[in-house]
Amino acid sequence: MNLSVQLAPKNKHGLLLANPVMTASGTFGYGTEYSHMFDIQRLGAIVCKGTSLEPRGGNPQPRLAETACGLLNSIGLQNIGVKALIKEKAPIWASWHLPVIVNIVGETVDDYAQLAGELDGIAGIGGIEVNIGCPNIKAGGAEFGAKPKSAAEVTAAVKATTSLPVLVKLTPNTSDIAEVAMAVAEAGADAISLINTLKGIAIDIAKRRPLLGSITGGLSGPAIKPVALYMVYEVAGAVELPIIGCGGITTASDALEFIMAGASAIQVGTASFTNPRAPLDVLEGIEQFMEKEGIDNLAELIGVARR
Amino acid sequence: MRQATARVISNNEIMPRVYLVWLNSPPIASQAQPGQFVMVRCGEGLEYQLRRPLSIHQLDGNEIALLFTVVGKGTRWLSQCQAGDNLDLLGPLGNGYSIHSGSHNLLLVAGGIGIAPLVFLAQQALNQGCSVTLLSGTPTTTQLYPEYLLPPEVKLVTATEDGTAGRKGMITNLLPDFMGWADQIFACGPISMYQTIAARKQHLLKGKPTQVSLEVRMGCGRGVCYGCTVKTKRGLRQVCKDGPVFDLDDILWDELADGGV
Ligand SMILES: Cc1cc2nc3c(=O)[nH]c(=O)nc-3n(C[C@H](O)[C@H](O)[C@H](O)COP(=O)(O)OP(=O)(O)OC[C@H]3O[C@@H](n4cnc5c(N)ncnc54)[C@H](O)[C@@H]3O)c2cc1C
Ligand SMILES: Cc1cc2nc3c(=O)[nH]c(=O)nc-3n(C[C@H](O)[C@H](O)[C@H](O)COP(=O)(O)O)c2cc1C
Ligand code: FES
Repeated sequence: MNLSVQLAPKNKHGLLLANPVMTASGTFGYGTEYSHMFDIQRLGAIVCKGTSLEPRGGNPQPRLAETACGLLNSIGLQNIGVKALIKEKAPIWASWHLPVIVNIVGETVDDYAQLAGELDGIAGIGGIEVNIGCPNIKAGGAEFGAKPKSAAEVTAAVKATTSLPVLVKLTPNTSDIAEVAMAVAEAGADAISLINTLKGIAIDIAKRRPLLGSITGGLSGPAIKPVALYMVYEVAGAVELPIIGCGGITTASDALEFIMAGASAIQVGTASFTNPRAPLDVLEGIEQFMEKEGIDNLAELIGVARR
Repeated sequence: MRQATARVISNNEIMPRVYLVWLNSPPIASQAQPGQFVMVRCGEGLEYQLRRPLSIHQLDGNEIALLFTVVGKGTRWLSQCQAGDNLDLLGPLGNGYSIHSGSHNLLLVAGGIGIAPLVFLAQQALNQGCSVTLLSGTPTTTQLYPEYLLPPEVKLVTATEDGTAGRKGMITNLLPDFMGWADQIFACGPISMYQTIAARKQHLLKGKPTQVSLEVRMGCGRGVCYGCTVKTKRGLRQVCKDGPVFDLDDILWDELADGGV
């Protein structure tokens, strides 16, 4: 059975995954935290926590609120910063045989360009995932990914400073995700991942104030799956690039829905909190499905539900 | 740290809305330290996105006990589980209490359900030959932890806010009486209790080293998601990994007040 996928066919390094199951940024740390719990190297790829130029402290407590079949988070991109990542994490990853993809976040286009440059050529790093769901300070705090123009600017800047495969991760908080996807593709992205969290809020009625310390948060989990799936379906119809689907994937059948909608690979996020083995369970479920249906090559399933 | 299936041995409502559940879990029991916690998976299906953190309350061979108040849907679900059911646990997690090598007289201070981790600490301290006094404070008598569940060597002192049992008033008022005796203090309770202690530290604690256990909302429980980060005098700390037990003096109590869970 062949589950492998090539996510960056035009890149000189390529980004070949043994199977389509990845972990979603921010929900699996640096991978190292789980490496003694199960064989994480059976997965297709690990995507690490969003990383900025300098370490970030993040938002005030509370940072998490459970909602109906969903999770609101306002972590605020707390992370160790790119220098510590290169020094402490990359050497560990270099000994692994699956690709690790570094998710990057910036407040200006230059931040992104500089981050991509620093990661270029570092052993242990297989690719970059550009999180454009962060507030663009210069544009008054709107997300870079909200508009095709700023999304393309970030993509082009990152491509100019790195030879690594570049995945651009789209935010659902935009009026036309297909347009953003096309702009990002045009600007040179190797692949597109989607979706990041949907903006949301929860209110503590006893305290009569927002539950999260920073008021708004990002919604993830099964509650967002139909929205994520729709957006993957849309984007798969708009661009030729490989697509990585993400949003509420908990089981293999969720993952297969995304694959049939046009995703070449998928990411498991929030589901890892209740079940740390969720990514592996999803992988095993996909294998069982293929066996049962007599499918030899995963490629046969990608986009089959599209009309 | 392990993900382990634990069989429920018993589950009883020992006080109104407070349950004591005994679980068989050799992998967790063999590693557990006082002050550590487990993340319990609640419910089936897709409803729950987060496990619930609960302190390890007692240890007996291969068995651990949890003590919890029903406050929401997760703890309500857990209160319904019965002998023979299986629970999915992650644990033991976090950094627990540490008894300094020179400490002999240990003062344990419980505010309400905060007694949960302190009974395990009392068990271990007694095994190590320490003397243990437990101050247990609750709003009213029906919420006081039953004395017959404590190791008999523990000296128990109680207080209720309404005066229906023990001394009347807040448990923190009793602290000065024990400062001549105590070598070290271990507290678990609501943030308001810690704030009271921290604000009147010189008077209440007379400089005695004090460890407290913090409660914040947790996602992963294992240092991955940064959901539980708090600011301390030593910088940012993850409550699930660096805590939940901290030195009282390290916490910035005013900052915590604002965000408090
Ligand atoms: C390290 C640690 C140890 C704990 N030990 C105990 C214990 O031994 N006994 C006990 O009764 N309680 C303990 N708690 C508090 C317990 O975790 C919450 O009461 C419980 O999670 C509530 O879940 P729920 O679904 O019933 O409530 P809901 O309000 O429905 O929960 C919604 C969400 O908020 C979180 N949450 C709600 N209240 C708290 C709280 N006070 N602290 C942290 N998260 C909260 C839940 O985990 C869940 O994610 C502990 C908390 C922490 C952080
Ligand atoms: C606690 C938490 C932290 C996250 N941190 C990041 C991050 O640093 N960078 C990023 O691109 N996405 C981040 N995400 C978004 C996830 O990677 C994912 O896109 C989203 O949660 C939807 O997938 P899910 O429903 O499977 O979780 C985070 C999500 C959660 C829940
Ligand atoms: S709960 Fe995830 S880092 Fe502490």
